[in-house]
Order: sequence, then C-alpha cells, then structure tokens
Amino acid sequence: MTVHIEFDSSWQNEFIQRIDNDGPWGSWELYKLAIEVEKHTVIPEFAGLQAPLHLPNLTPLPHQLEVARQVVENMNGKAILADEVGLGKTIEAGLILKEYMIRGLVKKALILVPASLVTQWSMEMNSKFFIPAVAQRKSYVWEQCDVVVSSIDTAKREPHREIIFQQDYDLIIIDEAHKLKNNKTKNYEFVQSLRKKFCLLLTATPIQNRISEIFNLVSLLKPGHLGTETAFYEKYRKDSRSLDDDEHLKQLVNKVMIRNRRQDTGIEWTKRHVETIPIEFSEDEKNLYDAVSNMHREGDWISSSQFSVMTLQREACSSREAVFYTLRNMLKKQEEPSMQFEEKIQSLIGKVEAVQRNSKAEKALDYINKINDKVIIFTEYRATQMYLQWFLKQHGITSVPFRGGFKRGKKDWMRELFQNHAQVLIATEAGGEGINLQFCSHIINFDLPWNPMRLEQRIGRIHRLGQKSDVHIYNFATKDTVEEHVLKLLYEKIHLFEKVVGDLDDILTKLQFGNIDDHLLDIFGKSSSEGEMRIKMDNLTAMIEFAETMKEESGHAATGNS
Amino acid sequence: MQQQEIHNFLERYFQSNQCEIIDNKQGYMTVQLTIELDKELMNRPFYWHYLEKTGGIPNPMQLTLITDPTIAPEDIKGEVIHFGSPRLHQIFQSTKNLAGYIRLYEDHKAAPGGQMSLRPWLGMNLRISYQCDRKKDIFQSIGLHLINGQMVDHFHDRLLKVNLTPKIPDYTFTLSPFIKPQSGIARVANYLKETISMENHDWADEARERWQKDLQLLEHFYEDTEDKGESYDNEKAALKDQYEPNVCISIVNGGLYYLTDQAIG
Repeated sequence: MTVHIEFDSSWQNEFIQRIDNDGPWGSWELYKLAIEVEKHTVIPEFAGLQAPLHLPNLTPLPHQLEVARQVVENMNGKAILADEVGLGKTIEAGLILKEYMIRGLVKKALILVPASLVTQWSMEMNSKFFIPAVAQRKSYVWEQCDVVVSSIDTAKREPHREIIFQQDYDLIIIDEAHKLKNNKTKNYEFVQSLRKKFCLLLTATPIQNRISEIFNLVSLLKPGHLGTETAFYEKYRKDSRSLDDDEHLKQLVNKVMIRNRRQDTGIEWTKRHVETIPIEFSEDEKNLYDAVSNMHREGDWISSSQFSVMTLQREACSSREAVFYTLRNMLKKQEEPSMQFEEKIQSLIGKVEAVQRNSKAEKALDYINKINDKVIIFTEYRATQMYLQWFLKQHGITSVPFRGGFKRGKKDWMRELFQNHAQVLIATEAGGEGINLQFCSHIINFDLPWNPMRLEQRIGRIHRLGQKSDVHIYNFATKDTVEEHVLKLLYEKIHLFEKVVGDLDDILTKLQFGNIDDHLLDIFGKSSSEGEMRIKMDNLTAMIEFAETMKEESGHAATGNS
Repeated sequence: MQQQEIHNFLERYFQSNQCEIIDNKQGYMTVQLTIELDKELMNRPFYWHYLEKTGGIPNPMQLTLITDPTIAPEDIKGEVIHFGSPRLHQIFQSTKNLAGYIRLYEDHKAAPGGQMSLRPWLGMNLRISYQCDRKKDIFQSIGLHLINGQMVDHFHDRLLKVNLTPKIPDYTFTLSPFIKPQSGIARVANYLKETISMENHDWADEARERWQKDLQLLEHFYEDTEDKGESYDNEKAALKDQYEPNVCISIVNGGLYYLTDQAIG
C-alpha cells in the first residue's frame, strides 16, 4: 500500500521572497549550528528510546527500559505501571517523561504523589534526569513552572484547583494510583477533570479482577474507550469477576497495564536468611507476663476490651517499659478509677518494677556484637525504642532512633547519621515506610507485627534494588507466649519470610478475608482454650494455603504483559 | 547531548548572535542578551511594543543558564537546562529560525589578473519524518546544480570543506542559473517523493494492522449501543491521529551557493 507523502511548502515562499529582496540572509555559523541541532534531534529508529543516551547519571535496569519502551511505542503514553514494590517505578516514569521531553512532545507536566514523597520525587527528577521538577510551594508555580510535583490533596483544594484546571498538561503522572479505583471520590473527579495528553498511573497493587476498577482506571486514561458506563456494566455486571473469561477485556488490560514481578526482572536478588531466635523469659519477666495474661480471668474489674489484654501481653514480650506506659495510660483514662481497679493496676506495676533485666535486649546486644556491622532493630513500641537506645548506650553501642512522625528533613538526617556514624538504627513501626537503607543488611525484629504486610515493608527497606549482600533477618520470639504462636502460624507455616511482597499482596487481596489483625485478635483473644486456639489457627493457615494454590493455578491472568 | 555538549552549544549560539557572555564558569553561564535575542527568547512583546511607542532606552535582559547543577555554585540563580528542557527546545528552534536562509560565495584565490566564475547551487537540508503511532526521522542534505541539473547527496558535509563568505569575493562573477530556484525546489521535492515511494513500507502496513485491531476493540465495547454519541467519535478520531501512517518532508534550512567547479567533486 502506498503512503501519503507531504512536502512542506512554507519554506519555499519565503525563500523566493528573500531572493527577490536580496536578503536578509542568515549567518553561516548559526546555519551550521542549526544542522548540528537537527542531527541531535532526529529520531533515527522507529523503535528504541533516546532518553538513556542523554542520562550520564543513570543506568536504568533492563526491565525499566523495557517498560519505558512499551509505554512510548505501544501504549501511546497512556499506561498503568504496576510493578511490584521496589522495582523502580519512579525511574520508569522519569524515563518516559524525559523521552517525551526530548521528542518535544511534552512541555508541561504535573506529578501528583503522596505528600511525604513530594521532595523525593522532585529531587530524583532533578538529579537523575536533569528535569527541573519543582515541588509546589507557592501558587504561582502552577503557571510558571513546566514540571511541578505536588500532593493530590493540595492540588485539589482551592485556590490551586481552579488554576490547575486552566492548564493544558501534556503529561500527568500519578503515584499510588490505586487510590483512584473508586470513581465516586473527590480525587477521582479531580483527576478526571485535568486536561492531559499523556497519563501514567503508578501503583504497586495490581488491578484486581474487578470490572468496576478496570472501568474506572481505563476511563481515566482513555475516556470513552469502554463505551458508556451503563452499557458497560450491563454487559459485564458490576462486581462480576468474569475478566478472565473475556478476551476483549483481557486484551484491553494488556494494552494499558504493565506489571513486572521480581522474578521476571532477571535481576539476581540477594538471598534472605531468616533465623528465629527463641528467647527465654527470666523469672520476673515470666511473672509479669502471666499476671497480664490472667487479667481477664480475674473477674470483671477490667472493663476495657480484649484488645488491651492482648496489647499488654505483646508488650510484656517487648519490654517492661512498654507495659508500664500502657498501664499508666489505662489508669489516667479512668475518670474515677474504682479502688479495685487502682489496686490491680498498682499490683501490675509492682510486677513491672520487679523485672530487673530484659532478656531480649541482652540477646540483641549479643547479636549486634556478633554481627559487627550495621543493624536495624524494629520494635512496635516507642517505650521499647527509648529503652533500647539507653541500654545500647550503656554498652558502648551508638544508635539513632527513627519514627514515622519525623519530618522529612529529620528522617534524612537520621538516615545519614546511621549510614556514617552509628551502628544501630532503632525504628518503630511507622518509621518503616518511605526510607531506603540498602547499605545495611541485618534486621532484628525485636517484636513481631501481626500484619504480614507491615513485616514485608520492614524487610523491603533493605531488601531492594541496590542491596549488594544477602539479607539477614533475626526474629526474636519469646517462648510460650502469643509471640511464639504468631510466629509459628504466620511465619513458619506459610513460609512468609521467603516470599516477596507481590505474592503476599496477591494472596491477601484475593482472599478478601479482611484484616489479618482481626483474625489474630479473634484467635488469641476470644478462644477459651488452647484447643480452640489451635483449631482456629489451623483454619487460617489452611485458608492462606488455599489462596496460594488458587493463585498458582490461575497463573498470571490479567496481570502479565506478554 | 551530554551536559557539557549543551554548554558548548549554548556558548556558540550566543556568540554567533553577538551576545556578550558575562560569566562563563563550570556548570553555568550568564549572558547579556542583545535586543534581537531578547525579542527572540524572552517572550515579552508588550515591553518591546511599549518601548518602541514611548521611545525609552531599551534594556535587554540577562539570562543565566545552569548546565550542570551539581558543579554550579549553590547560590547561582538561573534556569536549569537539560536535553529536553523547553528552553533548550526554544533555543534549538530559534537557531533554525535565525538561520533558515543563506547565500554564500566560495572564497577562493583568483588567478592574478584573471577573473573567476562561480556556479549557482541550490542547497537544501531536509528532515524526512515517517510517522504513525511511532516515528522516525532521516536527515538529508541535497545540492542541485542550477545550470546543469546535477543533484548531489551529503551536500552540507561537502560544503564544510569549502571556504565560504557572505560577500562576493573580488575578481569574481556569478553565472545566472538556467533553473529557477522555485523549480529547483520542485525538482528536489519530486526526486524525494519518488525515492520514498519506492521504499519498503511494511512499517505503514503494520501500523494499519495495529490501528484495525484497536478499532475492533473499540467497536466491541460499543456494539450493543444504539446511539454511540460523541465520545465514540472522539475516540475513533484519536485512533486515526495516533495510527494513520504518513511521510512528512520538512525543510530545516537551505540557500543559494556560488561555487567553483572544483568545490563539489
């Protein structure tokens, strides 16, 4: 078949005019420069990316280049990037943005990310891609800067909202886009109203096989492509899961979504070595734990929920300080504590005071000395965190604390202190997110979180791209306590530690059995006997195992991009 | 283009435009723009309009460009330039605007006492873009002898080896062309169209196939709908824009050259 060939005639008219008028003529120097520019800006091949040639500070990984290539060549810049956590979605998005900028197709871009990541995104765009992305702080930025990074919550509020709606964006990047699955939300409506040519949605959670999610996300990328909402739902029934059976939908999803799993990346991931370290309570510690455990058996003096008993049990496995804080708060919360209540609390506090040493902390000290390298200790409790810092200092070990509540600047500072000066970083749960510590390869889980996703996030801080050594994880679990039960169930029976984020992600969402915490609370809090506890635990394990096999059988439907 | 190349490029651009480079250190430069370049780059037509009306003293701006933020001093305020930045695109574009048309003479040593004749050439530098949902470009430089109709490739590279000057040298005269520049351009256009249409266009067929597949998918989602409405038409038009294959020949720059017989071998 022939192709239409167009010859641009605008140049010649002016040329003839200049010949008639005897000029003006350009300078030879500039003329030569123009041709050099031309040679730099031609794109010599249909396939392939230009951006990597211009990025001396960056060596993208093969799968990242592949994603960028796919999006530019086959998806026309409208895509859902759904790689597993830690594979570098930011790099992929940056490559695509750069590529379009080099080709002159994108001038104005808006990057919407969670508030805590605004600085990090703009820094990465600047340092790795030479893209002058500006973190939005003043309202004139929207109009005057070409590449702006902001949080969606800021952007959707007045007075920003109105200014943003007036901009014509060439590219919009949205991080954590799984929050846009529901089209009834303000955020969805906001993103839908933005004027855009290209759009990238980044998410670590894959699209579930749910029709409405697909409709909503695809509609953001390609409005109108799926027909009208009513007609679409009539055809596919809103909550049905018939995606796998429908060739057309599957085709469509493959056209707009790319998902890499760790195992497909071909990268040699360093190994995980998991070691469970059983801890023996000292006599005093055991007394405290038993006293706390027997609280609800001793009459109804304690009106508060099961939860505090569970909490106290777990705290008793962590440190006496943690227990003490909770007890004190319980007492404070009661407006007029009954005599009995006060007495009981006081007797527990007495037990706390009787505890002379922390067996876990001593064990941790042993390990830190043995490892003789950087170590991260995770604990769920701030009281434990403070105690550990004091305890390590007594033994001549430098440590820095880390909490989710720290401001960005302080987080970066603590990270740097840890990297350059201290041997140990002591982090609480909330501190786990949004910080990368690849230079360290040892984690001590001083106490264990019940939500496996949180545990994975902990490990994800060090076991990610850029980690050069094998990763060692030491789980401290006190014998004959809830802790040991949890460890047995979640971490040994289902081999959680050997798994990687994506798998677990898939399993838990597919099961839809709600919050794991609730199940554990039910098992440990409401069981009236050891036997009942064991049966319930077996049930939970069986469910998870079942979901796993289900997943293996269904393969990578709707998520792979072949 | 690496950052250092960009830096060198900017230097040459401003120098060729007679701008004084006030400060030129590692990683950044500050330039005093001329009136012409201020109008070209700074996008403030109202200021210039106002100034011309009131007859005030023109005050062209200074521009600081940072080509490598990692080595530039921290307190330097300016625009960060990277390959792909809108400012650099603008300067690229401006380079082409300012040097779209040229007329040059070969600067040769005439034999003593004698006179030398120079022959007219039409030189054109072109970008041929093959586009569908993907794109590729080819740069071509073609020279046409305006007397005998000889056509040569890589014309620009050949010119780089010749001494050229904008003023006609002494003891030199030019021969008038037989072929008018206008029909010369038409000859080049026809030659290119012919060669391109003889090429293998599998890429276009493949694009049409992809287009067809996407159309079928779109049809599928609308097949039960009576009134397909505006969004259907929009989406269909968007697919056409995205996939329809065509070839676009555009001219980067070009001009008239008067050369000796020996210049183009």
